[in-house]
Amino acid sequence: MAYSDKVLDHYENPRNVGKMDADAPDVGTGMVGAPACGDVMRLQIQVSDDGIIQDAKFKTYGCGSAIASSSLATEWMKGKTIDEAELIKNTTIAEELALPPVKIHCSVLAEDAIKAAVRDYKQKKGLI
Amino acid sequence: MCVANAVAAKASVCSMTNTEYADYFALFGLQSGFFIDDKALAATYRELAKDAHPDRFVNASAAQQREAVERAAQLNDAFQTLKSPTQRALYLLRQQAELPEETTIEDGEFLLQQMEWREQLEDLQEQADLAALAEFVRELKQARSAIDHAFAICIEDSEQRIQAERLARRMQFLDKMFYEVRQLEERLDD
Repeated sequence: MAYSDKVLDHYENPRNVGKMDADAPDVGTGMVGAPACGDVMRLQIQVSDDGIIQDAKFKTYGCGSAIASSSLATEWMKGKTIDEAELIKNTTIAEELALPPVKIHCSVLAEDAIKAAVRDYKQKKGLI
Repeated sequence: MCVANAVAAKASVCSMTNTEYADYFALFGLQSGFFIDDKALAATYRELAKDAHPDRFVNASAAQQREAVERAAQLNDAFQTLKSPTQRALYLLRQQAELPEETTIEDGEFLLQQMEWREQLEDLQEQADLAALAEFVRELKQARSAIDHAFAICIEDSEQRIQAERLARRMQFLDKMFYEVRQLEERLDD
């Protein structure tokens, strides 16, 4: 399948690949997987006391679209508050990357990873 | 057109229709459950496939030929589903209740393990160490076997549906791991 230029760009130059200390009190970790294709995605955020995402990292084992979706998600999350980040929708990611219908689930996985990371952070802080 | 053939074809198609494929296990004369007799499945499939082969319907009407082709495809689907342990597990779950094809799981412990395995596989690729790869495959097979045995128990207990589903999802990830391992083995063979 032909990937869009944006997917290729993120695939070839993924932003923010890495790992944070999942036990750190200011780090939220989201681990999600898509059984149908076997993709695994880890997305982490480092949040300041005023609730702003200072840094975001990801590691994804999966297809180009899954890597691009999570790479883009980390870019978009930085500088946002955790509440704003939670509002990032898979449809926006899919649109930005021009994902074909069969790859929409990759953007869904990225959205779920964002939500899982924010939830993990909120749980650590006793916010939920 | 040969009447005798047409009658035989019709009878055969009708008997196939009667099975309705409502239950794949019954279709192959197997007891429903996760662990099955693979050899019996393959043997029965070969028998049924002979009867259902579209070539047997060359003298039948166009409608009957179409039905024969469809039946043969369905029979093949049923066979492939039961042949693959993972597909068999998903089928057993679908028989009990709806199961989404695409879903996001947050099975933390297992996903962490997945990440580690993927990292290990990357290292193995760089090292091109066949002995280490064989050891890695052994570990994966052990993990798979443990999942299979746990699933076989959970699927029999409706109260353990959630756990059974989680285990079947783990099987899917392991299938992917084995696929990646095979690809690496092929690359290393070259």
